[in-house]
Amino acid sequence: MTFIIETRDVSYSYGDGIEAMRGVSISLDEGRKIALVGPNGAGKSTLMLMFNGILRPTTGEVLFHGQSLRYDSASLREIRRKVGMVFQNSDDQIFAPTVYQDVAFGPVNLGYPEEKVKRYVGYALAYVGLLGYERRPPHHLSGGEKKRVAIAGILAMEPEVMVLDEPTSNLDPASSEEIMDMLDELNCGGKTIIISTHDVELAYRWADEVILMENGGVLCRGTGQEVFKDSELIRRARLKLPIVVDIYKELVGRGLLNGSNPPRNVLELTDLVEARSRGTISRGATGTIHIADVDKVGPDEIKGILDEADISYAGAMGTSAKVLAEQVGISLDFTYGVIDKCILKALTGKNSLIMTSGGMVDHSLRRIRGYGEESGSRIEAVKLEPPAGSRADSKKQEASGPKYSMEHAGMAQ
Amino acid sequence: MHDLLDDYAHSSALTKTSPRLKLLLGLGAMLLCVSSATPIAPIFIAVTMSLITIGIAKTPGRFYFTLLLIPLSFALLSSGVVAFMHGGGDQLFAVNLFGFLLEIREDGANLALLLIARTFGGMCSLFFIALTTPMMEIFSVLKSLGLPDFLVDLSMLMYRYIFVFIDQAALIHNAQVMRLGDAGIKNTLKSHAILSGVLFLRAWEQGERLIVAMDARCYDGRLSLVEPAARAKPRAIFAVMIYIIIVSAIAFLTKDIRLL
Repeated sequence: MTFIIETRDVSYSYGDGIEAMRGVSISLDEGRKIALVGPNGAGKSTLMLMFNGILRPTTGEVLFHGQSLRYDSASLREIRRKVGMVFQNSDDQIFAPTVYQDVAFGPVNLGYPEEKVKRYVGYALAYVGLLGYERRPPHHLSGGEKKRVAIAGILAMEPEVMVLDEPTSNLDPASSEEIMDMLDELNCGGKTIIISTHDVELAYRWADEVILMENGGVLCRGTGQEVFKDSELIRRARLKLPIVVDIYKELVGRGLLNGSNPPRNVLELTDLVEARSRGTISRGATGTIHIADVDKVGPDEIKGILDEADISYAGAMGTSAKVLAEQVGISLDFTYGVIDKCILKALTGKNSLIMTSGGMVDHSLRRIRGYGEESGSRIEAVKLEPPAGSRADSKKQEASGPKYSMEHAGMAQ
Repeated sequence: MHDLLDDYAHSSALTKTSPRLKLLLGLGAMLLCVSSATPIAPIFIAVTMSLITIGIAKTPGRFYFTLLLIPLSFALLSSGVVAFMHGGGDQLFAVNLFGFLLEIREDGANLALLLIARTFGGMCSLFFIALTTPMMEIFSVLKSLGLPDFLVDLSMLMYRYIFVFIDQAALIHNAQVMRLGDAGIKNTLKSHAILSGVLFLRAWEQGERLIVAMDARCYDGRLSLVEPAARAKPRAIFAVMIYIIIVSAIAFLTKDIRLL
């Protein structure tokens, strides 16, 4: 199997002779969520700039789909289209005087005809939830909106990999969560997402794979649980433990828990504690989680289920779901970490509704059923069925499949 | 936040009308102002343009008048000097200042009046353009008039980064004031020098980052995607034409009238 991005013994020195990167060899699998974690100056940004050929390693090589990167202008164009990069500071990235122009920049430079440019820009803006912002100048946008514009500008070029440098820095918590939620959705659509961060909570919770960097090299890599197990290593990298791991370690220290693998999230931690205190996870009635695919069911069905079933909590994942929730006038209890939150609530016997779309629907079902099998508790996950005479456009959406596809989206609009 | 003319232009009620027509109206009125022989046409233009800007384009009146005060105060000062400088005609006013005779004569007074009226009318026309036409639309007009792409591109980038640097300048200024950088003239001058120097360096760095950002998105020499501007409605064209004809007629018919 070939990796989507691979570096082999890559080193890099800046003009002043300072070595920013020494002998880094990593290989990244396709379709995963990867976080480069490390303190300031660890070389995260330098490494990211190599993924699409903006920096050329002093020694060593970078490979994309097993092919060594070449640095002539035609190859560079190709790699930059496939590996989209979102910079830390949105003002560096958004240079056009209106939102439309900025998002259109990539497609125009790829030589697309005008009609196609329009379609792609429309789709990218719809995806990030900024339709209607076309003529706005960037200096009238909030930080979160600027970040969305920057992401839309990359999406309009249909990259396979999205590289984001500190995507949540300078954003308020709600905006950060929305951005990360959007990245989850993109990942569900098949894109490989690479972020750099020094927010350990974020990396631990979000990433499939964590690469711990320090001083221009890779300290360690693995799942969040593997990497954050070793507190000595984390201290060396000038980071701190995620709060879940910290609590877990203290509980183990007091002999309240035992085991070797820290829990991934609050859900697993509460399960561990419950299993320990009650001897087993045996519960009475668990709640039901209703899942609504907003591409297929309309406001009426959602209102219907809210009336019929005794739903205590509602959550939405993805832009279209959030837009619909706003239309229907549902106040959302969860806008991030929705599935886990709903499972937690189901375990306390409460019913909940998850609104989402595309590949996230099956992802939610799998996640809930997977949890049920693992923990032995039965949580019912019900997919909301569309009514017989379903909405006209839902057929097309169905045809396009869950995979994020520009061509279909354009036609569906 | 900063109070920028461009922001008002974005929220103006005339944002969506054809920029060409707005430019035609503004520039036409301005030309008539400067070429008019008497103050009557410019005064007419000043009044009507203000009415259009406040009444139709919905620019806040209070803001509009404070804005007008700036050029008006300049015009009043300079026309005062002009009034005293030009001789000819009957003496209207004289004052003896320590043996110097300062007098205003008819010609001087007329010229001063004309100067005020022209400045006033011209500024009202210019503000009409500035307060109803966002910069982006002016770029699109420039492009359709055949300005080379690279000039349009450069102006668009400059326009975009003006706002980034205004923010930066404000931040640096605050940082200086916080540490008493504005205590005394000497300090103020020094702070300003530092601010300019730092801004220059920041601009330079921003330029380098800009190139990286453009390259990262496959820059291939194509930037100027000026959106096609709104087309003018026949009714609007007709109205503008009528207005210009009326102003021309006023200017022509009143060309021999002397106010004083």
